[in-house]
Amino acid sequence: MSYAYLFKYIIIGDTGVGKSCLLLQFTDKRFQPVHDLTIGVEFGARMITIDSKQIKLQIWDTAGQEAFRSITRSYYRGAAGALLVYDITRRETFNHLTTWLDDARQHSNSNMVIMLIGNKSDLESRREVKKEEGEAFAREHGLVFMETSAKTAANVEEAFINTAKEIYEKIQEGVFDINNEANGIKIGPQHSPTNPSLPGSGGAGGSQGSGCC
Amino acid sequence: MEYFRSGLKSVLGTTTPGNQPTGAEIVERLVSRVSTSTLLEDRRDACRALKALSKKYRLEVGAQGMDILKQVLELDRSDCEIIGYCLDTLCNITSKDTFEEESENNINMQVNVGEQFTEMFLKNPENVTLILTFLEEYDFRVRWPAIRLMTSLVCSKPKDVQDIILVSPMGVSKLMDLLLENREVIRNDALLLLINLTKSNANIQKIVAFENAFDRLFDIIKDEGWTDGGIVVEDCLLLMLNLLKNNNSNINFFQEGAYLQKISPMFELPPNLEEVGWSPQKVSNFLCVLQLVRTVVSPNNSAQIITACQKTMRNANLLEALSNILMASGVPADILTETINAVGEVIRGNLTNQEYFANVLAPSNPPRPAIVVLLMSMVNEKQPFTLRCAVLYCFECFLFKNEIGQELVVQTLLPSNAGVSNLSMGQILCSGIFSKDHLSNWFSAVALSHCLIENPAQKEQLLRVLLATSLGAQPVSLLHQSAVFLQHTSKLQAKLGILMLLAQWMAHSPEAVKVFLNVPGSMAYLTAQTSASEFDNNEELLQGLCAFLMGLCVLYNDNSVPNYSKENLSQLIEKRVGIDTYCKKLVEISRHEVYAKAAKQPQIKSKHSSELLLEFEFCKLLKTLEGVIIQALGVQRDLSNGMSELSLNEHENALLLQYKELIRDQDKKLQDMQKSMNNMHKTTQGLETQIKELQETNTQLIDQNTLLKAQLAVNPSNVTNGPQIIESIKPLSSSIESSLLERVKTLEIERDEAKKEIERIRKDQDDLLELLTDQDLKLNTFKQRLRDLGETIDDDDSDNDNNSDGLENES
Repeated sequence: MSYAYLFKYIIIGDTGVGKSCLLLQFTDKRFQPVHDLTIGVEFGARMITIDSKQIKLQIWDTAGQEAFRSITRSYYRGAAGALLVYDITRRETFNHLTTWLDDARQHSNSNMVIMLIGNKSDLESRREVKKEEGEAFAREHGLVFMETSAKTAANVEEAFINTAKEIYEKIQEGVFDINNEANGIKIGPQHSPTNPSLPGSGGAGGSQGSGCC
Repeated sequence: MEYFRSGLKSVLGTTTPGNQPTGAEIVERLVSRVSTSTLLEDRRDACRALKALSKKYRLEVGAQGMDILKQVLELDRSDCEIIGYCLDTLCNITSKDTFEEESENNINMQVNVGEQFTEMFLKNPENVTLILTFLEEYDFRVRWPAIRLMTSLVCSKPKDVQDIILVSPMGVSKLMDLLLENREVIRNDALLLLINLTKSNANIQKIVAFENAFDRLFDIIKDEGWTDGGIVVEDCLLLMLNLLKNNNSNINFFQEGAYLQKISPMFELPPNLEEVGWSPQKVSNFLCVLQLVRTVVSPNNSAQIITACQKTMRNANLLEALSNILMASGVPADILTETINAVGEVIRGNLTNQEYFANVLAPSNPPRPAIVVLLMSMVNEKQPFTLRCAVLYCFECFLFKNEIGQELVVQTLLPSNAGVSNLSMGQILCSGIFSKDHLSNWFSAVALSHCLIENPAQKEQLLRVLLATSLGAQPVSLLHQSAVFLQHTSKLQAKLGILMLLAQWMAHSPEAVKVFLNVPGSMAYLTAQTSASEFDNNEELLQGLCAFLMGLCVLYNDNSVPNYSKENLSQLIEKRVGIDTYCKKLVEISRHEVYAKAAKQPQIKSKHSSELLLEFEFCKLLKTLEGVIIQALGVQRDLSNGMSELSLNEHENALLLQYKELIRDQDKKLQDMQKSMNNMHKTTQGLETQIKELQETNTQLIDQNTLLKAQLAVNPSNVTNGPQIIESIKPLSSSIESSLLERVKTLEIERDEAKKEIERIRKDQDDLLELLTDQDLKLNTFKQRLRDLGETIDDDDSDNDNNSDGLENES
């Protein structure tokens, strides 16, 4: 299927906070209680619709383990959005957010949209980090915040889609240079570069092109 | 060369004639010049000279100059020229290749000097990071040699360099930027560098893909004119192959990113192809694209990915394009072969694609299905061997998990259909099985066997197939004819083919077994082969397969053929062959290297026709049933296990005794072990009771502790309950009170007495005072009398008088 835009995401955060499960829930709509440790990075993709435009999300799910940190750093630069995930039942994953954020800000392009996600909201009884704390952290660092559950799928769609909305708005505002692919944004094939003044005008439709998925 | 000499002279100063310095001396002087010269020009000249010498005197330059060159890279980084010389020099000394100039100079070059210098250079990872920063320098004199040096390092020590680049920040990203370079030399060398860097390192492969590698590469390929482009196109395709091979994440990305659709233009054949012909480069490019297709749908990938890619390829008309190439004329044989393989893997296990392929027609007159045309080439002796293998593989892929396809083939052989079509798939295969070309026998038998895999219905249907052997003779069944052919043919390859067909047929099919057992001489043949002791080249495979078929006859026997019941056959094996020999022969197959090769992947990868003996699906069948057969025979043997020691011969008796001894020994050991086990048990029990005791005391202590805690907790509340304490104090206080009262009483009494006493004493005193005043008056009168009488009286007296006056006054 053809798309108007393609956004590249990365998912980052401590090991075991549920990054791969979030991706699996988003792309395959299923939950896998026991997930193998991610080695390096894994790829996933899905199409969403914003403002009646098809937007393709390409998502790189990174390994949270310290040993892979240098590898995963290579992915910051080319991403338009990042989901920074912590586990609401493990305080230390929340405490490490600053390190992650510093890392991301240092290696990414300055416009990258970062969404803070407190995952495992279904485990209310084991909660160690209050929702207000997450909100406060997000406010302090200028991030969007959400609590999700990869298990029950609560807010998972929203997390990915709201991030895309934020990026989309930034494009509309002209903050992103959409012709520079290093920003993690690509214009769809039928929205050819010959028509660079796109967003408003080019939304014609997906009937052109070869029509494959 | 002359220029270089003069350059050398200017650097080294003129040497005295007749006293030529050795290479090592020259290098030494140059190195010292680089390190000591204060003028940049001097250092630059020396570096240029070192570069010129670095091929011929590689060992010397490397050994003496490595450190100083690294130093220059750090200190003189602002001067592009000198950096360029240094990088070039390092590139030469770390190169994996041996230079011409060098070989005439050094005869003893067994050790790889380049690799050793690379190792030295890589000892400090900072060096690689330094080179990476030079890649960012736009100046051609720096960027180009930097790329080549990196390539040289990667070629010599791929693993080490990969690890360093992975941990250096943005290492891969910097390299990827080079693909955007508009100076083609640099871009092309960057491609080579990336090809070497991405070899068997999934992490780098993924980062390169993330950095839009596929977009960039397709852009380059497009610019270069698709498959008509030069070697750069091939390099781009090789890099893509590296990124995708065994990398599910990247294949997923490739498929999701709609890159498969971008392959399509490369499969378009120009209409005037026959006039233009195929240039060698075009053939290479084309083969790479076919490889690319096969990599994403390779049977080794995860099923989910294969299915997704197969679907995309059909929808993007890639399957159509590939089919067109199959049917086009003038296509070189190696491309045709690879295309057949690619088509096979694109349709393998995908019903829709298989159906599509079944309907592809060849542009012949009359039009025939493409599969028929392909099968005709398979049984054609004149076709190249690899092409025939590819056709078989493609046909197998067509039948893989495709019941409809299997039925389609078998149906063309059934009596109702026979004779209607002039040339059908089934007929080609049947004539192939019994043809004079033994390779055709093998191919056809294997091909037909794939119609029967996991398909009981077709096993039965195929039993209905009748063949007219010769004019006027009774038609015989296909299975019957195969069994007869097996006994008569002298070629190993043909025999193995037939045996594999029969095995697939008879497995899980008592019907087929029954027909086979009724073929005269069939069982005798199998027995003879299995019990044969001598074997030539690969003859053991034949014997093993015969044994396997015998086993199947036992396993799937419904006892409907007299003389060949389950029991009869197992006795036959036991008596005529011997269980041990039988098992040995059977197990021999899976130990054979031919088996190992065939069982590796579905595709037939033999290089020579004589290597074609076993086949993938048969190996799978053998693996699953081998154990079952041995078990079945073992059970049978146990039933007839009535032998006594008497029936044994001397040798066996000795053996038996030996075993008995062994058993006795083992028994003793067992007992010893048991004893020690018991001891252990006891000690553990003792330990357990100790633990229990300890636990008890522990709980007691805990109880006490809690009790004390509880008390502690109660105490402060007692204070607030004051009355209680007062209550407890009351008896005490009342006793104290009473005693106090008593005391008060006694004291009061005492006091009263004392008061009385005081009263009395006062009275006494008053009386005495009165008495005293009386006496005083008397005394005064007496004194007066005396004075009157003229007596002198002491002053004292008068004083006393005064005193007494006072006293008198007071009282």
